[in-house]
Amino acid sequence: MSAFLTYLLNGLAVGCAIALIASGLVVIHRVTGVVNFAQGTFAVVAGLCMSSLLGLGLPHGASEVAAVLAATVAGLLTGLAAIGKPGVTPLSSLIVTLGVGVLAYAVEIVLWGDQPRSAPGLAGSVTVAGARIQTQYLLVIAVTALTFVALALFFGRTYLGKALTACASNPYAARVVGIDVRRMGLLAFALGGLLGGIAGVLVTPMRPISFDTDVTLIVNAFAAAVFGALTRPVVTLAGALVLGVAETMAAGYGYGSHQLEIALGLMIVVMIVQASRRTAISQEST
Amino acid sequence: MIKLVAGALVAAVTLALPAVLDDSALAVYILLGLAAMVTVGVSLLMGYAGQVSLGQGAFYAVGAYTAALLALNGVPPIAGLVAAPVVAAVFALVIGVPLLRLRGHHLAFATLAMQLILLSLAGQLEFTGGDIGLQGIPQFGVGSFEFGSAAAYAYMTWAGLALVMLVTHNVITSRPGRALRALATSETAAASSGIPVGPYKLVVFALSAAFAGLAGGIYCFYTGYVAPGSFPVLISIQYIVMAVVGGLGTIWGAVVGAGAITLLVQGLDQLASLPGMPSYAPSVLSYAVYALVLIVVVLFLPHGLVPAIAGRLSRQRNDPPVETR
Amino acid sequence: MIDVRALVVSYGAATALEHVTLSVGKGEMVALLGPNGAGKSTLANTLAGLLKPASGTVEVGGRLALIPEGRQLFPDLSVEDNLMLGGWRSGERDPSFVYELLPRLAEIRRRRAGVLSGGEQQMVAFGRALMSRPSVLVVDELSLGLAPNVVTDLAEHLAALNRSQGLTVLLIEQNARLAFDLCGRAYVLESSRIVAEGDCAELAEDPKVAGAYLGGAIT
Repeated sequence: MSAFLTYLLNGLAVGCAIALIASGLVVIHRVTGVVNFAQGTFAVVAGLCMSSLLGLGLPHGASEVAAVLAATVAGLLTGLAAIGKPGVTPLSSLIVTLGVGVLAYAVEIVLWGDQPRSAPGLAGSVTVAGARIQTQYLLVIAVTALTFVALALFFGRTYLGKALTACASNPYAARVVGIDVRRMGLLAFALGGLLGGIAGVLVTPMRPISFDTDVTLIVNAFAAAVFGALTRPVVTLAGALVLGVAETMAAGYGYGSHQLEIALGLMIVVMIVQASRRTAISQEST
Repeated sequence: MIKLVAGALVAAVTLALPAVLDDSALAVYILLGLAAMVTVGVSLLMGYAGQVSLGQGAFYAVGAYTAALLALNGVPPIAGLVAAPVVAAVFALVIGVPLLRLRGHHLAFATLAMQLILLSLAGQLEFTGGDIGLQGIPQFGVGSFEFGSAAAYAYMTWAGLALVMLVTHNVITSRPGRALRALATSETAAASSGIPVGPYKLVVFALSAAFAGLAGGIYCFYTGYVAPGSFPVLISIQYIVMAVVGGLGTIWGAVVGAGAITLLVQGLDQLASLPGMPSYAPSVLSYAVYALVLIVVVLFLPHGLVPAIAGRLSRQRNDPPVETR
Repeated sequence: MIDVRALVVSYGAATALEHVTLSVGKGEMVALLGPNGAGKSTLANTLAGLLKPASGTVEVGGRLALIPEGRQLFPDLSVEDNLMLGGWRSGERDPSFVYELLPRLAEIRRRRAGVLSGGEQQMVAFGRALMSRPSVLVVDELSLGLAPNVVTDLAEHLAALNRSQGLTVLLIEQNARLAFDLCGRAYVLESSRIVAEGDCAELAEDPKVAGAYLGGAIT
């Protein structure tokens, strides 16, 4: 039973990291219609930055903040490439973000080499109801919860957040009232970078990160976001937690070698079910 | 007339090259032909069915493993080579029925997921040899004649490419092919004009898989081994780069795109392995080239290199340049 | 206030406006009539700066607000948020003056805009435009799909703002009776060109205009 609880909490932590990356995917997709393939890259950039800064002797806190800022800048640059030029379709923008992700490989290998890097997080562990869980995992859960609350407040209570929602809700009307939709898209990309960066900073002490970790991260995040049809953050969070727990349980109970297949298979099934439901609806309405 | 002469010239050069190239140059020549074979399919899929596949490397892998497994189990190589595209196409038909309900970024991610699943399975299952893969695949041969030289594989590759191009040409110029063109621009319009959208997309998907499977089959005989590491996700992205550079939906564009990118990456590889260059230089340069070429072409030459150059030439010949938006 | 000269706007190869010249003076209420597809909304979008002219000039003195065809609210946001976003340009963040003018909006301020009736939506669109503190208001199809009493109500508000604050109004309408009641002058736009212009009283006498826009009008 205590093993089960350990797996559950560890799984929630893994799910939280996926949820942060996925929420970035959702924010960008809602505002711009673009699925950002480089979303996993932001986490990798932040994780690698953090390991370097800590290695240089910068204290905890400052290193993490600087790493997240670096990821935010990466997000903004990705946005400039993807939607900076007018008249590019969302699918073309997806291919551009794919290019950005590959370009990041080159930069990351030059700066950090091609070997996985780790970074120290919170040391020690605590016992929750008989289950031992590392403090870092609890930190991940706490920071993710805070981040989602902050996101909800930002989109629900602030003027800028509402303007972003407005762009997602009706881009033409947003232009009518004078909102620069393209600039809001860039803001969404920067926010996506920020969220990916937070994920990267949290994940790196749990599992080492290397330049090509982004594929696993983006695929898991996309799978989670698919649960929420790429537009609903809360469903995405739930999807990510389910995914994280399922994968950790699979690994814990000896099916670890198949966790990727399970996650990806689930994602494909969810997408196909959603797609057939959409077709059914559009056939009814015609 | 000019076209005929140019075609004959291209054919002559293609046929003459294996005789004069050394083995390392031949390796590039073969890989170029194989990449072109897959890219023609990707270009057909993207340009004619309007769908992005990020998992074309999976079909390449299916073809390679099919041919390798058959050859290792004593089946004549020629049968293995025929089976490679057939199995890849059947696999595409089976997974295509559910997958092709998806569009746009959903299909892109689903195909990527398919490749990741396949690679992960190949790395774990016993009969595929796990992470080590399959080794000691016999040389290709027909009857008692066995391929001993790289030149033989070069001829086989380019014969395969010619076949792929011929099939694609016939598909494009057929009546259904012209109807297919409408699919890329507007699926709804295509459907409302009475085109059976679903089956057509499935056929193009299977055809592109067959091309990749054929290339995979030749690849396994040429290199003598296959492993999951031979088919990274990046290889699928590479085919997209090649197709986009060449111009989607053009046969020659795909070949030129594959050629240009292969030669560019090879050239940079040479440069990167010069003394004094850091050990990571080759991979960094190839990543950078793929990335920058992809971004620049998608943003600034959305119709690809070949149509852009062809368009410029024909404009200069015929009439003064027209402002295109 | 609005000065449009020899304006040409095109979408790709199709021309939507051909050499349109039109002016609206300060404090004036002017109507623009025309059938569907004549280019009325293209003109509205060009005046709002959302479309670029291929040639010709568009001059607008002061801040222009557009009430677009089909209201174009933010369906996922509340009425109040819709109003607040109307103040994006002006920096106006206090919708109380709109609530004073349109008390119904104060009652439904927390409702999502997407679930409102057509009349309520038009009210929100009207209030949202006012939040930008405009000196010129372009109203694209005020009456379309609305009950007559709602239209009368909104028209009265429009006329009152014009009288009390000197708000300049360009009213784009298919309902010529409404337009002639409210406005002093009118233009008629057909197939991308201005085909008639003048005082509303004179235009109403013109047999061609009367036949096309008054005779067949239902509302």
